[in-house]
Amino acid sequence: MRKHNMILLFVLSVFLMPSMLMAQAIEKNSLSLTLKYFNDNNKTQHLLVQAKSKIDGKFQQIAAIPVQFYIGSEALSENLLGKGITNDKGEALLEIPSQAKAEWLKSPNQNFVVVSEANIKFDEARGDLAITKAKLKIDTLDGRNIIASIVASVDTVWMPVAHVDFVVGVKRFGGLLNVNETQTYTSDSTGMITALFKRDSLPGDQKGNLILVTSVIDNDTYGNLSSEIEVPWGTKLVYTNNFDHRSLFARRGYSPIWLETLAYTIVVAVWAVIIFLVVQIKKIKNLGIE
Amino acid sequence: MEKIAKNKIIEDLMPQQFGKQGIIWVISLLVVCAIGFYAYCRQLYYGLEVTALRDYVSWGIYISNFVFFVAISLVGSLITAVLRLTDVHWSTPLTRIAEIIAVSAIAFAGLIIIVDMGRPDRFYNLFTHGRLQSPIIWDVIVITTYLVISLLLLYFPLLPDLKIMIQYKERNGKWLQKLYVFLGSFWKDKPAQFKITEKAIHILSVTIIPVAFAIHTVTSWLFATTYRPGWDSTNFGAYFISGAFLVGAGGVIIAMYVFRTHYKLEKYITDDHFNKMGKVVVLLALIYLYFNINEFLVPAFKMKKSEEEHLMGLFTGEFSPIFWFAISASMLIPILILIFKNGRKPKWAFTAGILVVVGSWFKRYLIVTPTLLHPFLPMHDVPKNYMHYFPTWEEWAIAGGSLAGALLVITFFARIFPIIPIHETITETDYHEKA
Repeated sequence: MRKHNMILLFVLSVFLMPSMLMAQAIEKNSLSLTLKYFNDNNKTQHLLVQAKSKIDGKFQQIAAIPVQFYIGSEALSENLLGKGITNDKGEALLEIPSQAKAEWLKSPNQNFVVVSEANIKFDEARGDLAITKAKLKIDTLDGRNIIASIVASVDTVWMPVAHVDFVVGVKRFGGLLNVNETQTYTSDSTGMITALFKRDSLPGDQKGNLILVTSVIDNDTYGNLSSEIEVPWGTKLVYTNNFDHRSLFARRGYSPIWLETLAYTIVVAVWAVIIFLVVQIKKIKNLGIE
Repeated sequence: MEKIAKNKIIEDLMPQQFGKQGIIWVISLLVVCAIGFYAYCRQLYYGLEVTALRDYVSWGIYISNFVFFVAISLVGSLITAVLRLTDVHWSTPLTRIAEIIAVSAIAFAGLIIIVDMGRPDRFYNLFTHGRLQSPIIWDVIVITTYLVISLLLLYFPLLPDLKIMIQYKERNGKWLQKLYVFLGSFWKDKPAQFKITEKAIHILSVTIIPVAFAIHTVTSWLFATTYRPGWDSTNFGAYFISGAFLVGAGGVIIAMYVFRTHYKLEKYITDDHFNKMGKVVVLLALIYLYFNINEFLVPAFKMKKSEEEHLMGLFTGEFSPIFWFAISASMLIPILILIFKNGRKPKWAFTAGILVVVGSWFKRYLIVTPTLLHPFLPMHDVPKNYMHYFPTWEEWAIAGGSLAGALLVITFFARIFPIIPIHETITETDYHEKA
């Protein structure tokens, strides 16, 4: 009996060996973390990480990756800003909390680190980012001129920055519509750009207000900056409610008059004939009783 | 001689009691109805979950059956109204057959819609919350109107026959005699009564034609007003009407053969009637074939992406066996049979009639189902059974029960009333003898 068990164990080992070897041979993919910094209207700042990996020769966004965000150049526990998990687009977002203020104020430049721990599919990954703190401002001049400027922190002083590319647009359906035919503007030595608003009769809100936005996108030094301002340069939006209008697609009791006239005329005409014929039956009956 | 002939006509055409075959026929139909009723009770209890109807195919064989019933009901206006108004007298023995087919079919068309609703208690919502803009409301109005007109068209010519039947009290039995007395005891063969009846039938014949056209056009609009491959057609009204005339005429040929054989009515439903109805069916099949070519060739020529999948599904895909069967059975083979004189003999005409009716039922199935399985947006993230449709046994049983129910109505009508108008036959015989 013991001999048989030994043989059985041997056979199982022989058959299971390839799968055990295969299990050891599974290769993990390398994960790439790209960290981005956003300054929204000089009020809130957030970090965004994008997780990607090359699978089957293509870069693919990787969801469900737990990540930790750190302020500073080292992933130390005291520098932890927060944690996140990547979504279906492989992205995780973290608003920089107010507790990081002390660390933030230490220097005009700032480093961030994002880390994901190793798991079954991926090795540990790390991404870092170094930015120079900058602010973007937008305002209007006489007529429909827009002025925007960028200043960066240099030794605790805000200094204008030249040669930075801006976009200036008006908020439209979740995107930005250029204010004129120019796609991008470059700041001059005073850190400013000017743009003329040429979008006439653009529908605004109920008061005719539009939101102008200037942005610096994916700048290697300053990250992503944006600033916005509300201006009364649009046409007033008059909300029209078609709910009570008569149409073929309206609710019950709001059919077009022509349809009601036509339908009811036909129904009344046909049923008048039917009633007339029923009366004829009565007549026939009376004739038979007489 | 004339009196003997008259008595012979009455003797031949009076309703007859069920023989052995008749009893078996009625019991068979009752069993099918009972199974259908049981299936419907299950549907009521468990909901539409017992059917194969899902998010995409929400109209399955119930609506196919509805369209079929509406189609076959159109025969009442063809035989009774069109031929009467055009002064065609050979169709006289067929008028009542056509009318009772129309009445039973339209009544069951209304019932099957309620079955399809799943919750019959919500039927009244059609009246309390119905939108006049919706073709569904037009269908409700026009079906009710057509049913009432068809009943009147059945009743007026029946009045003189009721008087004849009342005279045979012994033969009728207690209940039938009571029914005949209730329905027609006031008919005294007075010229004024005849005058009113003739006028009423004439008015009804004129009225029923636009109503009959409306019922089928509106039914076609249930589909054509929806923007979907296979339904998005300006041709649909005419396409439906031509198909309805064809299936109705096929149904009349079947009924003619069954009544002639079972009740020994060879003297009244003659070979000539089959010959003429055969010609009518050929004409109607050619017209319907013409509309089918329009309906399929034009979109197939353009082959828009959205239409392509639907059309290829019919021509060579999943539905191709049913499609080619329906086209062949409802049009091509009947034309080939009935175009020859020998093919218009009763047995061959009966075969052609069955092919027309069966093929036409499947044709309605093909109008409803494949389109629903080919929406404009691809079907995503749904269980696999949502992407195909095959009716459950409950659906087959209910559809079968409704067909059996319609046949039962016709059968009981023929048991209670003369299926060939007695008085009109006597009058026409007198007229021919005098001529």
